[in-house]
Amino acid sequence: MELFNLTIKSIFIENMIFAYFLGMCSFLAVSKKVSTALGLGLAVVFVLTITVPTNWFLQEYILKEGALAWISADFAEVDLSFLQFIMFIAVIAAMVQLVEMVIEKFAPALYGSLGIFLPLIAVNCAILGSSLFMAQREYALSESVFFGFGSGTGFLLAIVALAAIREKLKYSNVPDGLKGLGITMLLTGLMGIAFMSFMGIKI
Amino acid sequence: MQQSNNYIIIFTVVLTIVLGGLLSAASVFLKPKQKKSIELDTKKQILTAVVDLEGLSGNEILEKYDAEIQSVVVNIDGDIVEEDEQGAPIVAEKVDIAKNYKKAPEERLFPVFKFHEAGNTESVKSYILPVYGTGLWGPIWGYIALETDMNTIKGVVFAHETETPGLGARITEREVQDRFQGKNIFDEEGKLVSVAMLKGENNPNPLLGAHYVDGMSGATITADGLNKMLKDYFGYYEAYIKKVSGDTEKVAAL
Amino acid sequence: MSTDTIEKQQVEEVKEKKKSETLLSKRRKKFINDPLNDDNPITVQVLGICSALAVTTQMKPTLTMAISVIFVMVFSNLSISLLRNLIPTRVRIIVQLAVIATLVSLVSEVLKAYSYDMYKELSVFVGLIITNCIVMGRLEAFALGNKPWDSVLDGFGNALGYSWIILAVAFFRELLGAGKFFGVPVFEAIGIANFPTNGLMVTPVGAFIILGLIIWVQRTKTGYVEH
Repeated sequence: MELFNLTIKSIFIENMIFAYFLGMCSFLAVSKKVSTALGLGLAVVFVLTITVPTNWFLQEYILKEGALAWISADFAEVDLSFLQFIMFIAVIAAMVQLVEMVIEKFAPALYGSLGIFLPLIAVNCAILGSSLFMAQREYALSESVFFGFGSGTGFLLAIVALAAIREKLKYSNVPDGLKGLGITMLLTGLMGIAFMSFMGIKI
Repeated sequence: MQQSNNYIIIFTVVLTIVLGGLLSAASVFLKPKQKKSIELDTKKQILTAVVDLEGLSGNEILEKYDAEIQSVVVNIDGDIVEEDEQGAPIVAEKVDIAKNYKKAPEERLFPVFKFHEAGNTESVKSYILPVYGTGLWGPIWGYIALETDMNTIKGVVFAHETETPGLGARITEREVQDRFQGKNIFDEEGKLVSVAMLKGENNPNPLLGAHYVDGMSGATITADGLNKMLKDYFGYYEAYIKKVSGDTEKVAAL
Repeated sequence: MSTDTIEKQQVEEVKEKKKSETLLSKRRKKFINDPLNDDNPITVQVLGICSALAVTTQMKPTLTMAISVIFVMVFSNLSISLLRNLIPTRVRIIVQLAVIATLVSLVSEVLKAYSYDMYKELSVFVGLIITNCIVMGRLEAFALGNKPWDSVLDGFGNALGYSWIILAVAFFRELLGAGKFFGVPVFEAIGIANFPTNGLMVTPVGAFIILGLIIWVQRTKTGYVEH
């Protein structure tokens, strides 16, 4: 039940886009068509569900202060947390590459639709951000799996919704200066207000 | 240009060593300063619950802390704990409240910071209890200073990680924290009722009484979290509080 | 590689001007001026909105963030530019990420040591400079194919362009959301006691709306239209 709550919370209440502004670059750049937005969103869900738990192992058994104690008691004092950023980003880049290769080999059809988005994801703030949040909030392993999945789903939901609105927006008469990015920001703001209504939910 | 695999491997190895070395050097060099910053941050929060630290430098705060604070660690039964399972001594300042929060209350360690006159550990002026809970977005925590009657609140200090600035984040404001001063945590029969923040701001005075403080408009969930945090932790410390107030009564009777 | 052709052009260009080029020639001033307005990384190139907006509720953390980004961009551009002929093309992305991550870790460690309050306030958002698309974008598009000093200027210019936008957003959010400027209650100072602060401004929504309006104003001025 706890895990279910955490998932709901990370999808709706602490939505990566509307509450933390993470993954904005690809959110704005790849939200012109629903089909591509869906592809990117799915790729994000996929990568997040894998990288957050992977980084959890890193954090727990290598990076945390005293984490090396499992090798021998001599290392109990070692604190490698200063390597956190570099390790996390390396894992994310490597995992993205790996996932790309695996999908290409075993599911060519899926690769056809997801493939082009995967390289983009390595530099998506939502991915690194989720791992950093996981470390900061000291989630347990099971929590980190569900948190990763929930954050990804939140991103998917947001980007598909925005893409759907932008598809309709093509037929509207928007002032010149506001076209494109400007109106999209205002739209995101309005969607943010809608998502704020989830805030009152007691979980 | 296309390089051989060997070149790529050598390049990455060299790069890793250079960058890793740079980071390690920086980390080793900055570590003592970081430790001190974190220590100062904790001690500053503890002291702020009882005194105004305005204008004091970092070193002065640390000196003041050493001279006027003495700490013990207790368990849920109010008994003093001095060693952990491995027999290593427990230091109250090193007890991680956030980590303890994840354990069952019976297994947690509860530090108590006693504020006393400089140099004289007997004349305790106030007991400072750390508290920890969750607000709207993330963790909130703080320190509650009780008068020696173990009932009246002398002062509080709260901190948060990610509460909404201008709304829930106002719990860190002096003006909000001062509302807790002089409130009681026990009712006349000696039953624990804690202190709670009301919903909404500018509540009429008669509503407040001894156990309620004015709320913050637009931050009901943060306030709810705060109330729960206070009630929980007063509950955890109740055994210790009863012990101390029992002792002082005995002293007073003599 | 496209970077190679850019480099060739640049080399020719530099050869022509080599004799008379000063440290801040007209061509070089462009590196700094362009990103401030016509080619602003946030409002025109739509890069790097990710990590920064979350810290713009107040001026002080925003300023820290801006300084950190300037530091990271200048030095990452410099190091990649110095290494540009050595970096194997196949692993260049990960090399860039490693350099950026190292610089960001340095910033974070220094903040932790000398300004712990700020470190706590910015929390994970310092780390997220790594995935700030502007940094990566400039490395890929400029530093890989240009001389060190030009790259430094380019990094500095783009970081400044980024900084002024987030500072502007922070200015309005803090002023309207909390009635303060750098933590000082300005409205009380000029005698307006009960300034009605707008709670919406301190929430993420405020950032989106203000940024949208800034973009509108700026694009109307420069006449840039997106299709």
